[in-house]
Amino acid sequence: MRFLLFSTLVLLASCASSYKALKPIPVDQACVLKRMPVGLATSWFDASVDVMENHISGLLLIKRMPDEAMRLVFTNEAGITYFDFAFDPSGRFKVHYAIKQLNRKAVIRTLQTDFELLLGIPFRQGNLQAWRMGNEVFYGVQQKKKIAYFITTPDCASLHRLEWASKRKRLVTAVVAGNSTSTPDSVQIQHHTFNMHIRLTKLEKE
Amino acid sequence: MDNRGARRNNKLSSVRCQPGASVGYRLHTVICLVLFSSFSAMAQHTGYKPIENPNDFKKQFAAESERVHTITSNFTQEKVLTALTEKITSSGQFWFSRSNKIRLEYKKPFSYVMIMNDGKLLVRDDQKETRINVNSNKLFQQVNRIIVDCVQGTILTSKDFTTRVFENEKTYLLEMTPASKTLKDFFLTIVLVVERADYSVTSIRMNEPTGDYTIMTFREKKLNVPVPDAVFTF
Repeated sequence: MRFLLFSTLVLLASCASSYKALKPIPVDQACVLKRMPVGLATSWFDASVDVMENHISGLLLIKRMPDEAMRLVFTNEAGITYFDFAFDPSGRFKVHYAIKQLNRKAVIRTLQTDFELLLGIPFRQGNLQAWRMGNEVFYGVQQKKKIAYFITTPDCASLHRLEWASKRKRLVTAVVAGNSTSTPDSVQIQHHTFNMHIRLTKLEKE
Repeated sequence: MDNRGARRNNKLSSVRCQPGASVGYRLHTVICLVLFSSFSAMAQHTGYKPIENPNDFKKQFAAESERVHTITSNFTQEKVLTALTEKITSSGQFWFSRSNKIRLEYKKPFSYVMIMNDGKLLVRDDQKETRINVNSNKLFQQVNRIIVDCVQGTILTSKDFTTRVFENEKTYLLEMTPASKTLKDFFLTIVLVVERADYSVTSIRMNEPTGDYTIMTFREKKLNVPVPDAVFTF
């Protein structure tokens, strides 16, 4: 009986929405202008990806092109290219190249959505809504079945993190650290529905 | 995906993977392939002419390589993304000891170590250390064979590459074209520049099919100085 009660509680807890306590508030346009992610400046990062039991490391170039398109090139330490992705100025995604071992639909799609969030592409479409939960303000935009959030302090003094979420569950969290969100010192992207973690640390070029 | 990407991916998808091997494991194989295939030796190469007697060079290269028991060197590596007009420079140290002990350590602007010793491989980055048994995978065995061919100076007779040799007053240039599809997916050619004086490698340029390339240049090379076993221990 006790086990049944415990199991029921665990089940209920696991079904509880991460966003149940969100309370709608008016959108603070000044804060949106100040904190909404608008992509990154050209930078090289020391990068590692842990997915399931696999660990991949290398260097990631994020390049802002003159036409505002973004290119992302991930190479291994010795220089061989793992993938070369692009988001055109309207946010359309294109695979220029992917090494055979990574060239799987699910892998590419996962990386695409992770980088979309990091580059703030979902937020470009507008239609932002705002909510307050605890000591945070959530700015969100619906994208098909998912919602992309950027989350700030109530006074808009800083950007806490970015999230992809379903209606009820947190799917992906991206934490961007450093003084500037366009040139972060580090980025951590954590998936919550399966075991995947991306770490980026800005490289100071020689 | 553009036409070039689509063509490339069609090409890639026709390559069979090692059964049972994980993505990470196979990627480590790729890393090894890139790093170590380099340590064996450009179209026509400016300032170079084809060597007159390739057989004599082949014998001399093998004989001189035979005399090398250890190598220590600093290196600088430049990765150039031609289409994006971007490059990144890294540097570190390289050690070799006969037979088949290799340590490649990147120190700036990131930390990365790869050690091969007695059929085992260690890869260590900022986050993780991975140990791999080279003999457990066909591709690793191929990499191992390439290393041996390079170190023993027998790369010119290797089935993994067809090699053309050029020369100028100070150096030889070995243009290695991969023979197997696996290697062709990663390299258009690998170009080694070898000193005439001691047949040691001065630079390695790995040309990718995309037009990007990586060039490693070796500085302060020391041949046959004692190298402690600890360098290769893990």
